[in-house]
Amino acid sequence: MTAVPNNAASPSYRFNWLNSLWPWLCAASVALSLLMLGALLTLLLVRGLGHFWPATLEEVTLRSGDIFAGHAVREVALPLQEGDERLYFTGNRDLEGARWRWVKVEEIVERTQPVDLIRLERSPWDDFIGRLVAVEQAEQRWEGEAAWQRLTALLALPASQRQESQLLLTTANGQTLRQPLANVIHAQAPNAMSWWQKTLAWGDAVWRFLSEGPRAANTSGGVWPAIFGTVLMVILMSVIVTPFGVLAAIYLNEIAHQGRLTRFVRIGVRNLAGVPSIVYGVFGLGVFVYGIGGSLDEWFFSDTLPSPTFGTGGLLWASLTLALLTLPVVIVATEEGLARIPDAQREGAVALGATRLEMLTRIVLPMAAPAMLTGVILAVARAAGEVAPLMLVGVAKLAPQMPIDGEFPYLHLERKFMHLGYHLFDTAFHGEDVQAAIPLVYATALLLVLIVLVLNLTAIFLRHYLRRQRGNEC
Amino acid sequence: MIPPRLTTSRQPLRLLQDRVATGLITAGGVGVLMAILAIGVFLVWETLPLLAIGDTLALAKLSPMAWGTLKAALSALLFAIPVALGAAIYSALFMSARLRSRIKPTLEMMEAIPGVVVGFIAGLILAPWVERHLASTLVLIIWLPLSAALAGLLWQLTKTRLRRYFPLSWAGLWLVPWLAIMMALALWLTPWIEQQWLGGDLRLLLDQRFGIDYATRNALIVGIAMGFAVIPGIYSLAEDALADVPNTLIEGAQALGASRWQALWKVALRAAGPGVFSAVMIGAGRAVGETMIVLMASGNTALLSASPFEGMRTLSAAIAIELPEAAPGGLTYHLLILAALVLFIFTFLVNTLAEVVRQRLRRRYRQMGGPS
Repeated sequence: MTAVPNNAASPSYRFNWLNSLWPWLCAASVALSLLMLGALLTLLLVRGLGHFWPATLEEVTLRSGDIFAGHAVREVALPLQEGDERLYFTGNRDLEGARWRWVKVEEIVERTQPVDLIRLERSPWDDFIGRLVAVEQAEQRWEGEAAWQRLTALLALPASQRQESQLLLTTANGQTLRQPLANVIHAQAPNAMSWWQKTLAWGDAVWRFLSEGPRAANTSGGVWPAIFGTVLMVILMSVIVTPFGVLAAIYLNEIAHQGRLTRFVRIGVRNLAGVPSIVYGVFGLGVFVYGIGGSLDEWFFSDTLPSPTFGTGGLLWASLTLALLTLPVVIVATEEGLARIPDAQREGAVALGATRLEMLTRIVLPMAAPAMLTGVILAVARAAGEVAPLMLVGVAKLAPQMPIDGEFPYLHLERKFMHLGYHLFDTAFHGEDVQAAIPLVYATALLLVLIVLVLNLTAIFLRHYLRRQRGNEC
Repeated sequence: MIPPRLTTSRQPLRLLQDRVATGLITAGGVGVLMAILAIGVFLVWETLPLLAIGDTLALAKLSPMAWGTLKAALSALLFAIPVALGAAIYSALFMSARLRSRIKPTLEMMEAIPGVVVGFIAGLILAPWVERHLASTLVLIIWLPLSAALAGLLWQLTKTRLRRYFPLSWAGLWLVPWLAIMMALALWLTPWIEQQWLGGDLRLLLDQRFGIDYATRNALIVGIAMGFAVIPGIYSLAEDALADVPNTLIEGAQALGASRWQALWKVALRAAGPGVFSAVMIGAGRAVGETMIVLMASGNTALLSASPFEGMRTLSAAIAIELPEAAPGGLTYHLLILAALVLFIFTFLVNTLAEVVRQRLRRRYRQMGGPS
């Protein structure tokens, strides 16, 4: 303890010495927060993006003589026993009845990585892992390497131009299968790929995840309808919330008498940002869906009535609910911007003969525009990540129709829609094969986090830029 | 010189336009505020039928959920308050200004991470992991603060020259790898200790020796996950309050012979107390109302149990699960709206209290001559 400096001689030495540890605990809590945030983001990045990398397929021989092919997913210690067990994704649900297989590591006799193992993505039954024997097309037949080339050539064509063909497949344990080409979506021979080819395949897989619809009860395929639904809902919401939020902020800041009542209203609005989102959901369900929607049905859609048109959750009600939810965000941000504008600007405008309207539209609003934009971006970021209220007012597990299509009136406000956040929740917790869905859930979560973080970063930079600019001005 | 005038014919039009626009803005503004007010009115209106029923048994149905809400919020705050306040104290008073300008937005970004994502990680990844490594988790909870103190102790003992490379003002950053290493060390050692002293599996021991059930998704998991979600909110507000304490106060205390920590503990924290309190209040409001994390990480079992290893069902989760299926106008429907009303009133009151306290604090700082 001789190294402790200075006050070692003072009587309160012990006290000080203990006290000097407190700042370290405080520093550690910053470090812990950073660590948790970093761990979360890294986990999402690694697992979300790693899923699309073509996994090496293994052919595994067990001590019992059983042979199967698949890719190893993870390894855990056996409960109450020595040794580990390993989980393999084996696909072939139509032949085996399951897509997963737990194997004790010690029972594995041999693991090889034959180059001719392929992986097919099919529309019913999902993945197939095994070997391609032949491609048959009318009278013709290709075998071996030629068959693989024929298959890739066929799959490169658009689905409508592919000639009807049959694939002759065998699994690792010798079962054979005839697979019509029409059900095959994608084929891959990951063991034969070079590093560069794998990178290309990875990019392709990411693109297909973003641009395709879900398959196999949301356990594979992409999230395009969910992205579309989220974006459309958010756009509708900002169209509703921006004018009303700005209007309310202008009223509060520029027109209302700045008295006690206005102060209370301001505090109230600010507090609404802290009210749980589920409460807004309840309001949306009770007032918009059952109240307004129910009446609309009675007035205009009475011929279809027991089945509701607007009297059930839908795009319009979801957007309205979220608009109400994000209203405080826009009002607070806009008011902040308005309050920053020096009164001299307003007085100058009025002194030069402008009416209040002219002062507002020519001087005040242009100056407050970045603040409004910040508010709207923050509102969009909040709305994009919000799920709880949507569960009550119109999100769907799997929407059969997109809310925009070629049918009049093109934008169908009454339809249910898919949402990234709800898609994530539903596949992770209500899916039939959660194990298979988890990689996709990671990817969806990563996408959602990226969208929200990018929106927030934009808002932060905008605000920062705005503050600096304003700071120079006055 | 006479300024150029607009033609007199346009003058009345302009005034009319102005009058109309002002009227419209007023109408719009008041309308929006009324719409916001309508939330409260609607909730109260829809719970009135419950009074007519006057069935106290129905209210008893809500009590496990009220308990669950409290339990979830408390376990989240138990984790969040020390970490958030510690982080706030450190970054307001010890951290170098350059680091602070980077760290603060980063931590505030944590708040933007959607609840579904946190809930997914907690419910499907963290919960099974903790179930398998219960002993390691409990050891980590004790070990992490100890290892931070250890870092401080080592720092006190090192030579001055070495200290310059690892200053306290940057400790928030370079403690990250230190904590990671310490964490890895604990994770590596605990299974061995568990094997030696606890007979292999703490969970089995708890069950057999003490009869404690362990549910995979429990209050511990909810506490960690929701704590993670609540930390940035508390941190941000508490940090603002602490950073706004007039510097003259702290400098004065130090001039009178107080150490940096004493000046902080006895002066700055006292002065910023109301601000810190309001930060905690707002965090509590968020923890009570959070839905997705609880829905995904709590198991949703309506139990009246205080055990940290058992699940719970909160008011918000009950609304999210049951309301879509409740028939409008039925008893369940009104009960769930009552639950929403309770959440609304609670968060509104808590936030108002926090806001009023904060405004008063701001006025006090202004009187002390600090930044407004």
